[in-house]
Amino acid sequence: MKDFSQEAVDRVHPAADVYARDYRAGKLSRREFLTRATALGLAAPAAYGLIGLAAPSVAQAQTPTMGGTLKMQMAIKAQRDPRTWDWSELANACRGWLEYLVDYQRDGTLLPVLLEGWEASDDAKTYTLRVRPGVKWNNGDDFTAADVAHNFERWCDGSVEGNSMATRMGSLVENNMVREGGIEIVDDLTVRINLSQPDIALMVSVADYPAAVMHPSFTGDDPVANPIGTGPYLPVSYEPGIGAVVERNADHTWWNEGNGAYLDRIEFIDLGTDPAAWVASAESGEIDLNYQAQGDIIDIFDAIGMPRTEAVTAATIAVRFNQENEPYDNKDVRKALQLAVSNAIVLELGYNDLGTVAENHHVCPIHPEYAELAPLTVDGAAARAAIEAAGLGDYEFELISIDEPWQAETCDAVAAQIRDAGINIKRTILPGATFWNDWTKYPFSATEWNMRPLGVQILNLAYRTGVPWNEAAFSNEEFDTLLDQANGIADADARREVMHRLEEIMQEEGVLIQPYWRSIFRNARPNVHGAEMHPTFVVDYVKYWLS
Amino acid sequence: MLLFLFRRIGLMLVTALCLTFIVFALTNMPAKLETLAKTQAGSRMTDAEVDRWLERNGYASPMLVRYGEWLGVLPGWVRTDDGGTVTGRCVALRDTPEAAGERCGILQGDWGFSTRFRAGVAEVLSARLGATGLLMMWVLIVMVPMALIVGILAGMREGSRTDRALSTVAIASTATPEYVSGVLLIALLASSTVGLSPLLVSWGWIDGPVLFQGNARSALEDITLSNFTLPVLTIALYGMGYVARITRASMTEVMTQQYIRTARLKGVSFGKIVVKHALRNALIAPFTVIMLQIPWLLNGVVISEVLFSYPGFGWTLYEAAVNNDIELLLASSVVAVVVVLVTQLISDVGYVYLNPRIRIS
Repeated sequence: MKDFSQEAVDRVHPAADVYARDYRAGKLSRREFLTRATALGLAAPAAYGLIGLAAPSVAQAQTPTMGGTLKMQMAIKAQRDPRTWDWSELANACRGWLEYLVDYQRDGTLLPVLLEGWEASDDAKTYTLRVRPGVKWNNGDDFTAADVAHNFERWCDGSVEGNSMATRMGSLVENNMVREGGIEIVDDLTVRINLSQPDIALMVSVADYPAAVMHPSFTGDDPVANPIGTGPYLPVSYEPGIGAVVERNADHTWWNEGNGAYLDRIEFIDLGTDPAAWVASAESGEIDLNYQAQGDIIDIFDAIGMPRTEAVTAATIAVRFNQENEPYDNKDVRKALQLAVSNAIVLELGYNDLGTVAENHHVCPIHPEYAELAPLTVDGAAARAAIEAAGLGDYEFELISIDEPWQAETCDAVAAQIRDAGINIKRTILPGATFWNDWTKYPFSATEWNMRPLGVQILNLAYRTGVPWNEAAFSNEEFDTLLDQANGIADADARREVMHRLEEIMQEEGVLIQPYWRSIFRNARPNVHGAEMHPTFVVDYVKYWLS
Repeated sequence: MLLFLFRRIGLMLVTALCLTFIVFALTNMPAKLETLAKTQAGSRMTDAEVDRWLERNGYASPMLVRYGEWLGVLPGWVRTDDGGTVTGRCVALRDTPEAAGERCGILQGDWGFSTRFRAGVAEVLSARLGATGLLMMWVLIVMVPMALIVGILAGMREGSRTDRALSTVAIASTATPEYVSGVLLIALLASSTVGLSPLLVSWGWIDGPVLFQGNARSALEDITLSNFTLPVLTIALYGMGYVARITRASMTEVMTQQYIRTARLKGVSFGKIVVKHALRNALIAPFTVIMLQIPWLLNGVVISEVLFSYPGFGWTLYEAAVNNDIELLLASSVVAVVVVLVTQLISDVGYVYLNPRIRIS
């Protein structure tokens, strides 16, 4: 976006300067630098400027052409209240009229959308959000600071079942609602967020897909039935399991007129979960791009003239032990099973080598605070000896997975290596409908995890004592204390010191076998532009165009 | 005759009642309700949240009570929350708070709400049945003449070369389940890399990349030869073989009758014997079988509609089952019972007219 006010560029967070130095010294990759600097409130062009680069413009190579109808394969699920969304597809369908305060971009930057900019205090406890002036809802109302405050209150309401935003709001939530004095409306265009604990992840959290900004009149659970939003499109139809159609809203002046909304009409077609049906559909010209292709399907789409785009992500599969179940309450058993498994082999057999090897601590090299640890060792004989020492020589372990092919194959590769080490293990594959009923309780099972832009986010969500998604039932006092500490360190280098220890604890405690980081793929016809795969599965069709 | 009709309708009601009760019991097992809550309100909810959701949405009362609510013999559940807002089965279905406490089940004509499609069951089913009706119509248009012609040609001269050849085709087609024939047809006719299509393209015989579309979604808006051929063929081929076999058997039996021999000895030409003397009698059995075949075709419809992603009744049944959409599944089973028994009724009544020797007492 082009219209950043001057002060956004003028006040540079002190840590951002540190990042820029690190980048120049080669300590940071460009992507890491951008994620960190923009999370602190630096506009992307300014962040690029700090390291002496020109911000790449979306329309760099070609000028987008207006018009056309795009047909995309994507699952269309029954809608509900956005803050309870659990599938990116639910958000993607609505992105034409529901916008976000900030967007997480493919290159790792945060792009202000309904905000013009923001600043974090040096202790990351106070955030000042500056609302973009001139934004209107499509019913004619002005978008103001009160609307932003209203949305923060919605997100913090923990009494709503399935409201995952409440967990993302961290210390802004107290007793299932906004803490006293947590949100301050300074003036019509300024909101101040006061946290009780430092939280460097706040801004990336509000870029996450359930954080769609809703009009104050929204109460129900269907954002399609009453589509009041700020974006340039409107839904025409929405039928779960069948498809959805979105068309440009002719009666609404979009704040960002000219920088998007190129397509006249977008048709989402739900073709079920069988990729063969997607291929058949693509062959007869009924779809221009798929949502996500996996395994062999990527090559097949390549072959029929729909080249792939790739996004490297911190999405992964967690083959975790639940420490409340025997025999996984024994650390030696967990560590022995880890020892039997070579993650590189799992990546090769389970995921066709379409990713990078991970190190059993759920922090990814693309996370800004990632600290490198010593490489993992694999030793089948030692694993067998440890299992026997624990008195489980004849015990039969059981590894549960969902019936999705890549997850089942990954678990097969894990189990095969454990078996090779001379340890009894059986595999159980459950259908999706039953798997999710008990996903946090299985003694030993695999769960798919989408990426989060910061390493601390995932640790907060999945490994802190007692949090709802802590499927490993992991509870470690030192870990929790250090995590609290890390949450307050805006400077990623300083945070890396703490993260180093956090990663070590994860490995020492044998929390999970986390074999690889997935790359994800999308195939599209060559005349579809702007629709490259996004690391967090965002389908921002407002920016797509056809030539 | 009237008594016969009444008895049949009575049987239909009892069957529907039993079937829906079984479906209700199976879909309302605690684990299934948990699945429902998680698909409805967030797949990663905690147990406490699940219980709260079930309680708030009327799933907490005993199963028999809820079955009564669905039937319409008991008043729908009502709940008043802390803020004084009244929610309830009938409030949601009728869209007015005054309806709280009324009965609103199928006896009152309320088919309920589909949790998968977020719409009224009656609305969803009528749209989907319409789509399946079109598919079935084309299946019958293709299947019945093909089956009869193959069966009559084969049965005319039992043991001839024509008979052997056509019987082999018929047996092969009926022995191939839809999920095999459908996939084979797609590979053969609807792929731009394998099968016939690349060949036809290189000869310049077809414009598009493929001969037929391997996906029938676009048929929802506009049925064309290109998008509807494969699903229709997949179902028709399976039924065709069976009906052809019955027709052949019936035809060979008729052809050995005394009156056919008499006609031949009189010097009537073979063609005339087949058309004038044999055909009507030979068609009685296939008529019954075709009618009884329709419920069987519903099986094929489930497979074929899912395979070609054509949203009809079979596809809806599949989606409802996968997503534990209780009220949609119940309504679908009622529809299935009605289809089975109505086609049986037609076949019984029609049989009487075709065969004067039978009387319905």
